[in-house]
Amino acid sequence: MSNVLIFFYRRLKNSSFNSFTRTLSKLQIRNYAKATSFPDYYQNPIFRKEDQVKLIADSDLKNRATVPVKPPTVSETSSVYFDPLVNKVINHVMEKGNKRLARQLVEKAFENIKRKQIERYHLASTPEEKAKIELNPKDILYKAVENCKPLLQLQPIKRGGITYQVPGPITEKRSLFLAIKWLLETTDEKERTVHFPEQFAWELLEASNNTGKVVKRKQDLHRQCEANRAYAHYRWQ
Amino acid sequence: MFTRNWKHLCRRYSQAVTFRTSEIYPAQHNENQIGFFYTIKPDLCKQLFNHGGLPKSFMKQTKTFTETAIMVRQPALDVMDCIRASDMNKPVIRYVLYGEKGSGKSLTLAHLLHYALEEGYLILHVPWVSEWLRRTPRHKEMTNSQTKEGFVDLPLDAAEWLLHFKTQNQALLKNCEFKISKDYEWSKREKTEAGSPIAALVEHGINRVKYACDVIDALLLEIKILSNSKQCKTFVAIDGFNSFYYPMTRLNTPTKKKIKPEEVTLTNSFLELTKNDWNNGVVVLTIDQLAVPDENQESFLPRYLLYKKGFEHLDPFVPIEVGRYTDKEFLSCANYYRDRLWLRGPSDLETELKFTSASNPYNFMLQCAPL
Repeated sequence: MSNVLIFFYRRLKNSSFNSFTRTLSKLQIRNYAKATSFPDYYQNPIFRKEDQVKLIADSDLKNRATVPVKPPTVSETSSVYFDPLVNKVINHVMEKGNKRLARQLVEKAFENIKRKQIERYHLASTPEEKAKIELNPKDILYKAVENCKPLLQLQPIKRGGITYQVPGPITEKRSLFLAIKWLLETTDEKERTVHFPEQFAWELLEASNNTGKVVKRKQDLHRQCEANRAYAHYRWQ
Repeated sequence: MFTRNWKHLCRRYSQAVTFRTSEIYPAQHNENQIGFFYTIKPDLCKQLFNHGGLPKSFMKQTKTFTETAIMVRQPALDVMDCIRASDMNKPVIRYVLYGEKGSGKSLTLAHLLHYALEEGYLILHVPWVSEWLRRTPRHKEMTNSQTKEGFVDLPLDAAEWLLHFKTQNQALLKNCEFKISKDYEWSKREKTEAGSPIAALVEHGINRVKYACDVIDALLLEIKILSNSKQCKTFVAIDGFNSFYYPMTRLNTPTKKKIKPEEVTLTNSFLELTKNDWNNGVVVLTIDQLAVPDENQESFLPRYLLYKKGFEHLDPFVPIEVGRYTDKEFLSCANYYRDRLWLRGPSDLETELKFTSASNPYNFMLQCAPL
C-alpha cells in the first residue's frame, strides 16, 4: 500500500575480525520517494503491535536490534484506528503540510458518510436491505478506491513523428495513486457553496456503488485502452 | 451478510439491559439509573425544545439516532433531591450548574426541564442568553425602549421568547386560570385589564412585537405575584447566565455605540427574576465558558465567570458541578453509541477513546464521529 522503492545494498555483517563475510543483498523498503535525512541503512519503524508480536515470534528481533531505526512520524501510531490507506488519503488531501486540517476534512467526510448511511439504514424496511448497507466509512473508502483503480494505463510513445497513446500495464502503487488523485480531482469540481467534506463523502459513496464520475473516468480509460489495442506492440518495437 | 443482522439482534438483546432505562418520568429517576439513557417522546421534545434548549450538535445526533435520549447523571438527581427537600415557603433557592466545556450542563438542564414539566411547574426557560446579547446577524432588530430611558429593546427576541413560553406551558395555561393583578396600558387604545388571564398578556406580546419587552416585564412581575400567593409553582431555567454579566455585548446602536448588558431591558427583567425576593419556585442557572469570548475563557468556575457583580447578585446559591463521565457512564455511553450504529469496532476502542477524550462527553461524541 505504500510507495515502494526497492533498494539493493550491501551491508557488512557485524562479525568478528577474522570471519569477514559479505552478507546477501537485502531488500530495503522505503516509505518515501525522496531521500530523507536518515542514511539508507536505517530501517523503517515497526509501530503496529501485531507486527511487533510477529517480530518477537519469528525471533528476527536479534538481527533487527543491531540496525539503527528511523523514528515513526506523528501519524504512525499503534492506535486501533490507524489505517495506512486512510493516512495516505489524508496525505494526498494535505496542502502545504497542514496535516491537521487535512485530517479534520477527511474525518468530517467520514462522519457525513456515516450519517447518510445510517439514515438509509433506518429507511430500509427489510433486514436483507439493511444488511446490504455498509455503515463503516473506512470500508466504504476501501471499496471506493478499489472500484476506481485502473487496470491499464496509456503511455505516449513516439514512432515516426507521431505520438501514439499505447495501452500498457500499470503497477499497483500507480494504480492506487491514480484512484486517489481522481477522487480528489472530482471533489474539487464542486460548487462554491458545497464544502469539501460533503462533496468528498458524496464521491466516495458513489464510487463504492460503482457509479459516479470517477468510475466513469476509469471506464473511459479502459475503453480508450481497448480502442488503442492495435498499438500495443509499439511498446516493444 | 445475514450474520450482521443476527449479531445485531444479539447485541441489542444483551446490551439493551445495560445502557437504557425504561423509566420515562424524571421524577422516578434515582441512583439505580445513573449512567442509563432514557428517551423523551418526540411530541414532548417538540413542546419543550422547539425554540432551543438542546445544543445544536445534540440535535444533529438526535436526527441520526432517530430518538432523543438523555443520560441520567448525578448532578440532575442532586438538584431534584434538593428541590424535593426544600421548603417552598422560604425564598427561592438558586442552583448554579457549572463545569468544563462539553461536560453536559445544557443536557442536565434539559433533564430538569422535563422533570419540571412532569411535576406541573410553570416553566420560564431562556435557552441561551448569548443568543440575545452576542448573536448579531446582518441586521439585529433593536429599538430604544419607550418606557425606560436610555435602555435598548430587543423586540423580535422578546416575541420569540414569549412564543417559547407559550409552547412550553400550553397545558398549564389552558387548564389553570392565572389572572393578572393590575391594569397594563400599552397605548391609548390598547389595554390589558386586571383579572384577564396571563395567556392574553402573552398573546398581546406576540402580536404586538413593539411592546414585547414591556410585556415580558409585566409577565415576570405577575408570575412572581402568583407564586407568592401559591397559585402556581415556578421553575426558572437560564442557560449561559454569565453572559448577563460580561462587560460588553456585541450589540451596537445605530450610532455605533457599544451597549452594555445592563442597558438591555431583557437583562434587567431576568435579573429581577433571579433575585430571591419571592418564594414557591426553583431557579436553576447554568454558567458556561462558551457564553463569553475566547479571551475570557480561562476558567469554568462561578466566581471567574460571573464577575463580582454576578456573584454578589446570586449569593447565596447552591453550586453544582457537572463533571466528566465516570467509568460506568462512559461504558454506558459507548454501548449506546454502538447500539445506535454510531461506533463500531473491537472493544479495545473504549480504552483508547477514554484516554484521548479524557471522558469528556462532548469530546467523546466528536471523536466517535469518523469511526
